[in-house]
Amino acid sequence: MVDVTMPQMGVSVAEGTIVAWRVEVGDRIEADATIAEISTDKIDTEVPAPASGVVAEILVPVEATVEVGTVLARIATGAGASPPQSLDGEPAGPARAETPSPSPSPSRAPAPSRSGNGHRRYSPVVQRIAAEHGIDLAQVSGTGRGGRVRKHDVLAFVESAPVEEPPLHIESPYRPDPVAPVVDGGGLSRMRRQIGEHMKRSLDTAATCTTWIEVDMSRVELARKRLGVTALAYVSRATVDAIREHPALNAWLEGEKYTRVTDVNLGIAVSLGEDGLIVPVIARAHELSVEGLAARIKDVAKRARARELTPDDVQGGTFTITAPGQYGSIMATPIINQPQVAILDFEAVVKRPVVVTDAEGNDSIAIRSMTILGLSWDHRALDGALSAQFLATIKRLLESV
Amino acid sequence: MPTLTYLQAISAALRDELRADPNVILMGEDIGVFGGAFKVTDGFVDEFGTDRVMDTPLAESGIIGTAIGAAVVGMRPVCEMQFSDFISCGFDQLVNVAGKMHYRQGLAVPITVRLPSGGGFSGGPFHSQNPEAWFMHSPGIKVVAPSTAADAKGLLHAAIRDPNPVCYMEHKHLYRRVKDEVPSGVFETPFSARVAQPGSDLVVIAYGAMVPMALEAVSDGLDGASVEVLDLRSLVPLDEEAILDSVERCSKVVIVDEANATCAAGAQVAALIAEKGFESLDGPVVRVAAPDVPIPFSPPLEAAVLPGVDRLREACRELLAY
Repeated sequence: MVDVTMPQMGVSVAEGTIVAWRVEVGDRIEADATIAEISTDKIDTEVPAPASGVVAEILVPVEATVEVGTVLARIATGAGASPPQSLDGEPAGPARAETPSPSPSPSRAPAPSRSGNGHRRYSPVVQRIAAEHGIDLAQVSGTGRGGRVRKHDVLAFVESAPVEEPPLHIESPYRPDPVAPVVDGGGLSRMRRQIGEHMKRSLDTAATCTTWIEVDMSRVELARKRLGVTALAYVSRATVDAIREHPALNAWLEGEKYTRVTDVNLGIAVSLGEDGLIVPVIARAHELSVEGLAARIKDVAKRARARELTPDDVQGGTFTITAPGQYGSIMATPIINQPQVAILDFEAVVKRPVVVTDAEGNDSIAIRSMTILGLSWDHRALDGALSAQFLATIKRLLESV
Repeated sequence: MPTLTYLQAISAALRDELRADPNVILMGEDIGVFGGAFKVTDGFVDEFGTDRVMDTPLAESGIIGTAIGAAVVGMRPVCEMQFSDFISCGFDQLVNVAGKMHYRQGLAVPITVRLPSGGGFSGGPFHSQNPEAWFMHSPGIKVVAPSTAADAKGLLHAAIRDPNPVCYMEHKHLYRRVKDEVPSGVFETPFSARVAQPGSDLVVIAYGAMVPMALEAVSDGLDGASVEVLDLRSLVPLDEEAILDSVERCSKVVIVDEANATCAAGAQVAALIAEKGFESLDGPVVRVAAPDVPIPFSPPLEAAVLPGVDRLREACRELLAY
């Protein structure tokens, strides 16, 4: 037996009046169906049945005003609901024909989505589809457990929605002739134009010479694998150390103004594929260990390729290294990155038979990991002897890693 | 393309790798002269010798520790745990040494640990477990679990060639039951998921032995529903993109683990979906897994504990009706 009580319609409402009963004793009523109409001093409204069952008693007559919480009627629920008795003790008429059936067998499904006041809950995907199509979900009938609106229901509703009238405008049947299959490269990109101007200006300005030296990288190869870094990091470190011995190469030459720089701000050329290349600068590279240089090189290369470099990242370079050897090329004549006075080219490390001399002076042929370092330098700022000494220093450092 | 069993595919991958790379060595208990408890390495010792197919003492910690040492100097050892359950004896070496070597010292540990796992043969609590989640929880270790013979071969090639420690979960129940076409020669299967059967109403997410079970469970279409089966193949890394793609298309998800439910691989998948797939869901994320009990010896009890076709079908039907 479930009580139907005078509902609390608002914080300030203390009582309500029965306007009409929608049911009689003995009527079957479903949960949430209106059982009575009531009125307060503020609003008129309806009282929903709190449970399904048979109306057993009506305790408050029409026009009576009672306090909030007063029991208005009682509903007999479940299999135990028996035909109610009227005042004279006879079974009430309507109920006799319709023996109250047990309420539907309890479902094993998750709790029904319909709560007491008719509010429905919707799954995230249903809400999203409704929002995308501007659908009022109250209009959609559900086929899931307890009338739940499923994704299928809302999709079916979308499909059944009236199709918009086709536009009056008819598309012209004209189609342009197919274009011949050539790739239109368009004009040069801004980056290509800038690289071109910069390189041409360097060749027009500097007296560019290139010197090469062969270096045995076997020790570097072993060391770098142990450290998990690239050979470029070792070459960078050796270059920085060689610059300390030959500071004349760490400089800018602008017109006739030659400026030697104390810090080594090392530019590393990074290819951006078809777009071009960029030279981010590792500032104060002389302060970094091999591991530190490796990490910084990796970082600037990554940011360069992600187009995340800031203007600060590409300014102030004093010496540049270019290392395109990953494709197997072994020599190049790089163009000096103005206004610097030299650029080092580091290409592929390849295994070659070389003559090695042991401590006793005996020669033999061994397989060593070799590379050719190329230095393009500006004959206005220095001479060939210095560039050769510089390369020899790098060689000595790399071969004694 | 030759048709191989899951077990033959594993053997073939090991043989191909041994032939291709002199740095590949096998280590394990009775894998040499005896050919392995499941005969995966039957005859290997004749072709490759006892230096490359090594019978080890019954000491998993020693097997994995030795493998780590060999790996950091350039070898590619493949360790067999006779049963995946025994990995607990080698746990410290795998989790603390192998898994953290690169983080601590920058060194690669390219070892593969083969873990014959799973139940279904009355092996009882020490020979039937699915310990993959232990290693998912430990950074630095990859975990893969093939469900077909082709993937068994491709994933093993990829595992051996991966620079990281890889736990290779091979399901004993599939050894001789699963048979499919396997490309010959070396090929690497990426550590990503695979749609085993496409569908649109519900997706069953599974890996290892639960994949053929799921395919059987939904083979009759489950009352006309279109059910997808997603084979994870790799648990670390977990293919988030494929999982979320299936969830977006199907909106209802059942995740199956043969492992004990709590903190299983499926729990991680469920958490991922709750976090990143919420707006695609049209029902609760449902899990089917073994209860948190040891695997019983008794055949009827074991059948009751392990997720099977009936339980999965029931779970799918319930969710489809939701």
